[in-house]
Amino acid sequence: MDKDQQKPNLPEPPPGPQPEAPDAFDLWLHSSLHKLYDGVAREPIPPELLALIASDRSRGQR
Amino acid sequence: MPNEFHDQLITLLPRLRVQALALTRNRAAAEDLVQDAVANALAAQDSFTPGTNFAAWMHRILRNRFISTLRKQRDTTDIEDLPAGAFAVGATHEDRLVLKELGRAVNKLPVDQREALFMVVLQGMSYEDVAAATGCAVGTAKSRVFRARRQLQAWLMGEEKPARTPETTRTDNRLLDESRAEA
Repeated sequence: MDKDQQKPNLPEPPPGPQPEAPDAFDLWLHSSLHKLYDGVAREPIPPELLALIASDRSRGQR
Repeated sequence: MPNEFHDQLITLLPRLRVQALALTRNRAAAEDLVQDAVANALAAQDSFTPGTNFAAWMHRILRNRFISTLRKQRDTTDIEDLPAGAFAVGATHEDRLVLKELGRAVNKLPVDQREALFMVVLQGMSYEDVAAATGCAVGTAKSRVFRARRQLQAWLMGEEKPARTPETTRTDNRLLDESRAEA
């Protein structure tokens, strides 16, 4: 009980909004979102998309 | 220099594909959205100032293209895809179940919250970048991410059930209203 009542003598935090400390759910959420969606970013870019950019690039190099 | 613009665009493509999925929740629609946004960006490349935040500029184009598509669509696309990560072979059965649940919950979020959440968590964008890309105040960007996190927590912890489609449809309509107000 005493342990719960004892508070460490910490300095006051600076005024203004405090940055959010990530809690356990936030940490899990971040990790899981990456598991879900990082694969999308790793998939090969569709060739037609690259061709679109390449075509514009070559037009610019006239 | 044109080459730098094109190089930056190619480098950003993977992130744009993820963000497009955040907006559309559908793989095919996401690919179309990216294609259209890239075409728009190429047409507007002279309006980009080299040395400024290319990612925010490009995300803005992607978003505007999505809103433009919403205006033309009479029907809401009801097909919601789960990303391939929800079916990861290496994960345990329980992990896959939880990831699928998360994927479904993410798709149920209002689009502005999902968009902001993806930008911060998956794209590593700052709140200032999110605000610049979505045309809102920094405080609004923070609020959207905070609400998205808390809503997902409430759903996944069983504290409340996700709303059905009409909620997200109302949010899509709000996105349209906001874009009209900006114009």
